Amino acid sequence: MKAKSHDKEAAGACRDLTILNKHGMHARPAAMFIKTASAFDSDIMIEKEGTKVSGKSIMGLLTMELYQGSTMRVYADGPDAEAALQALEDLVKSKFDEE
Amino acid sequence: MALTVAEFLEEARDPFELEVVCGEDHLGRIVKEPAFNRPGLALTGFFQYFANLRIQVMGLAELTYLKHLGDDATRTERLAALMRQRVPCVVLTRNRHVPPELLAQAEAHRVPVLKTPLITNRFINRATLLIEDLAAPRQKYQGTMLEIKGMGVLVEGQPGIGKSEIALALIERGHSLISDDLTVLRRDHFGAVVGYADELTRYHMEIRGLGIIHVPSLFGVASMRREKRVDLVVRLEPFDQHADYDRTGMCSETIEILGADIPLVTIPVGAGRDIAHVVEVAALNQKLKQLGHDAAKELDERLMRALERKRRK
Repeated sequence: MKAKSHDKEAAGACRDLTILNKHGMHARPAAMFIKTASAFDSDIMIEKEGTKVSGKSIMGLLTMELYQGSTMRVYADGPDAEAALQALEDLVKSKFDEE
Repeated sequence: MALTVAEFLEEARDPFELEVVCGEDHLGRIVKEPAFNRPGLALTGFFQYFANLRIQVMGLAELTYLKHLGDDATRTERLAALMRQRVPCVVLTRNRHVPPELLAQAEAHRVPVLKTPLITNRFINRATLLIEDLAAPRQKYQGTMLEIKGMGVLVEGQPGIGKSEIALALIERGHSLISDDLTVLRRDHFGAVVGYADELTRYHMEIRGLGIIHVPSLFGVASMRREKRVDLVVRLEPFDQHADYDRTGMCSETIEILGADIPLVTIPVGAGRDIAHVVEVAALNQKLKQLGHDAAKELDERLMRALERKRRK
C-alpha cells in the first residue's frame, strides 16, 4: 500500500470528493462509507493533506477530520475500481441522508 | 399458565413448614391470582371487591373475630358464605387451633386448608415473593447463559457455531456458567428477565468430542451460578462478507423476550477470531452503557464538535 502511494495516478483510479453534509464525516457517515467501500473487492484508500488511510477502516477514516467543505481523494485499485468510486461518490453526494 | 394449590404447596411446604389440615384431594384447585388476601371483611359478610381468586390467609385477627361471633350457627353461616366464593385455599397462620366450623365448611366446599407456624405478616411477605416467581411467565430458550463480571449474557446461535466452546473459554477466564445450550427464562416481579438452567441438566455441559462434562467438578464451584438477570443477548452468526454488521456500536438493537426489550449484539464468527474474548468485551461494554457511559456515542459527539470547529474556521 505504502509503495503504491508514491505513484498515485498509476495505481488504479482516483476521484476527489467534497463533503457536503453539515456535520461532516462523523461516526454514522463513516460507517456508511466503509460499508459501501467494503462491498467492493478493490483496495480503497483515502488521502487528505498528505495522510493516507484505508477506506475500509472506520478508525482511520474518523481521524481524517473531513468537515463540511473539505475534500478527500479516494483511490480504488482492483477489478471493480470504477464502480467503487462511483458508489462512494454517490454516497458522499447524497450527504449520507443528512442535511 | 395455571398454578395449582399443589404446585404452590410443593415449593412452599419446606420454607413455611406448611401442613395440609384438610382437603388433600382438592389440591388441584387453581390459584387464578397468585397473591394472598386476608378475608376479614368477607367474614363480616361484606363481599364487594372480595379477592376470591387469591389464597385466603387467616391469622390471629380473623380467628379471634370468628371466636367472638357468639353462636356456632352464625360462625357456620359466615364461613359457608366465604367458602361459596370458590376461594382456591385457606392458610391458617401461627399454628392456631382450627375452628371445627371452618373445617366442616372447607370440606363441604372442597376447599383445602393449610397451616403454618409463621406469623401472618411474615408468611404473606415471603409467600408473595415465592408465588409470584411460581406464576411468572417463562419460556425455554435455545442459548447458553453466562455471568461475565456481573452481567448476565445469553449467547445464541445455530448449533455447531461454538456456543459451548465459547462458554468453556469464558469459564476458564473466571466467569461463571448458568446454563449450557438451553436456558429457562422467567419474567420476575420487577419486570427483569431471569435465566437459569433446567433442573435436570444443571451444572452440565456438552462439548463436541468430549461428551457431557460436570462443570463444577472440573472448574470448581465458582464456575457455576444458579440464575442471573439477562442484561445482554449475544447472537453469533457465521461471518458473511456482505452482511451488514454494526461498525460503530451506535445502532442499539434489542430483542423482545417475554415482553421485555433486551439489548442485542450480533457478532460475526470468522476464522481466527477469539469470540470468547469478543463476548467478554461486549458484556463489559454493555455494563459501561448501563452506567450511562456510551463510548461510541460520546466519541461521535466529540467528533462532531471538532468537525464543526474546523468548518467554521
